[in-house]
Amino acid sequence: MSRIVAVARAVVADAIRRRIVWVVALFSLVLAAVIPALPSYGVGVADAVYREIALAMTYVAAIVVALVLSVARIPGEIERRTLYTLLTRDVRRWEYVCGTWAGIAFTLAVAVLVFGTIVFAVGWVVYGAPMWQLWQGALAIWMQAAIVAALAVAVSTVTIPVIVAVGSLAFLFIAQVRADLLGGPGHPLWNLYPSLDTFNIIAPVAHGAGVPLAYVATMAFAFLAWTAALLTFGALGFSRRDL
Amino acid sequence: MDTARNTHAIRIEGARKTYGRNGGVAAVSGVSLTMGRGSIHGLLGPNGAGKTTTLKMLLGLVTPSGGEFEILGEPSGPAVRARVGFLPEQPYFSPLLTAGELLMLHGRLSGMRASEVSSRSAQLLADVGLEGKADTRLAAFSRGMLQRAGIAQALIAAPEVVVLDEPASGLDPVGQRDVRDIMMRLAEQGTSVLLSSHRLSEVEAVCDEVTILNHGTVAAEGRIDDLLNVAGRTSVRTRGAAPALPAEIQSLMEDVAVSGNVWVFSVPESAVRAVVDVLDDHDWVIESVVPKRQSLEEYFARMLDRSREGAEAEGGLS
Repeated sequence: MSRIVAVARAVVADAIRRRIVWVVALFSLVLAAVIPALPSYGVGVADAVYREIALAMTYVAAIVVALVLSVARIPGEIERRTLYTLLTRDVRRWEYVCGTWAGIAFTLAVAVLVFGTIVFAVGWVVYGAPMWQLWQGALAIWMQAAIVAALAVAVSTVTIPVIVAVGSLAFLFIAQVRADLLGGPGHPLWNLYPSLDTFNIIAPVAHGAGVPLAYVATMAFAFLAWTAALLTFGALGFSRRDL
Repeated sequence: MDTARNTHAIRIEGARKTYGRNGGVAAVSGVSLTMGRGSIHGLLGPNGAGKTTTLKMLLGLVTPSGGEFEILGEPSGPAVRARVGFLPEQPYFSPLLTAGELLMLHGRLSGMRASEVSSRSAQLLADVGLEGKADTRLAAFSRGMLQRAGIAQALIAAPEVVVLDEPASGLDPVGQRDVRDIMMRLAEQGTSVLLSSHRLSEVEAVCDEVTILNHGTVAAEGRIDDLLNVAGRTSVRTRGAAPALPAEIQSLMEDVAVSGNVWVFSVPESAVRAVVDVLDDHDWVIESVVPKRQSLEEYFARMLDRSREGAEAEGGLS
C-alpha cells in the first residue's frame, strides 16, 4: 500500500504543477462565478438553471483535467524512460498502475472540491440559500471523471496517447447514449451496455432536492466496479509489456 | 551449492531474448554472467550487442525468452530489487519534481521511511555534487546534473548491488572522475557494481572483471589483467641521450614508440634481463619494466575485427 501511495504522491506533485490544469481550473471558476449574470433566467427557475450550468461546467472541467492528466501519463513515462528507475524498485506493475490512477483521482477530487466550493458559495450568496444537493452532483462528476481516468490509464498501458484520447472520448460518448441507442430497459443488451447513466444525476440535483442516500450508495458500488475492472485490465496489459 | 550461489551479487545463466514471431530476431542469445559480491564488473559491447536488453531482463523491465536471473542469491524479482539501485542510460525524471521529491519517491518505493529518506538525501546529494539542490526542480537541472541526480536515486536506499548504465554520460571530466570515485567508494564499502559503459578507459580504470558482448552473445569474459596482458612479452620504458637504441637489442623490439628521448617498446619475456643489461651498459636510464598490456580499446577493436572477419568468412563460404 505504501508503494501505491508513494507513486500517487508523485503523480499529485507532478499534476498540481502542470500549468494546463490551473488554466482549466481558473477558466471554469471564472465561468462559474459569472453564471448568475447570464441573461434569460426565468423567474422561479433561476437557481435551478444556475445549478444545471454549474454542474455542466464542473463536469466538462473535470473531464478535461482527467484526460490531460491520464492520457499521456504512462506512455510519456515509458517514452522518457522515467519508469525504468521506478519499476526496478520493489514495485509491482499493478501497484504502479493503481498508484498512477490514485494520484490522478486524488487530484481530480481536489479540483472538483474547489469547483464545488466556489459554485456552492456563489449560489448561496446570490440565491440566499445553501444548495446542499450540489455536493451530490459534484460527487457523481468526480466518480465519472475518475472512471474516465481509469479507462485512459488502463488503455495507455498498451497503446499510444492519441489512441487513448480518442478511445476515452469515444467511451464517454458511448457511455451517455444507451437510451438513444437501445431504446429502454427492455432491450436484451440493456444491462450489458457500458453506460455511465448511473452517475447522471444532474436533473434531480438541478431541478429537485437531489437523490436519496441509497442511490449514492449505488453510485459508489458502480464506481468501484468500474474502476476495479478497468484497473485490472490496465494491470494485466502492463504486466508483460517490454519496456 | 547454495553457499556458492550466495557469494554472487548477480548471476545470469543462458539469458535469451527474441523479438517477433516464429523464432524472431535474437537480441540476446545465451548470455551468462557471474559477478562476485563487492566487485566492480564491466559489461561492454558495441551498440546493439545486447547489453541494455540483458540488464533490462535482469531488472524485470523486459520479459526474458529464456534463462535464469539471480540477484544476491535470489531469483530476480521485485522483493530482491529493493536491494538494488539502477541508473539507466541518460536518465530522465519528471521535470516538475524537485531533487528532494525524486529521492523521496525512490526511497519510499524501496521501503524506506520518509524520515530516513530525508536524513539520507542531504548527504547523498552532497556526495554527487548537488549540495543544496534538494528543493530545485529537475526542470532547472543540466544534463550533467540530471545524471548526478540519477546516481543519487540509485543509491538512496543504500543498495547492496548497483547497476549503472553509462553513468558518465553527459558529465564533464570532473564529473566523470567523481563517478569513478563513487564507484570505487561503493566497492570499498562492499557494494557490488555492474557497470555498462562505452567508455573503455573508465571500465579499465575501475573494473575487476569484464564481460564483453557482441551480437547478443558473450564474446569474452574474465579478469581485466588476464584479458589485456600480452602473454610472453614485457614492456620496457627507457630514457637516453642517444638518437637510437643500441643495435644489439633492435631485433628483439616490437611496438616501438618514441617521444622526445623516451622510448617504449616490448621484448620477449625471456630476453628482458639481456635487454636491460645492454641498455645499462649504454647508459640508458630504465624507467619501467612491466608486463606488456594492451589497452582495452585495442583489445576491443581486435575482438570486433576478428568477429567481423569471421562473419565475412562464413558469408563467403555460404
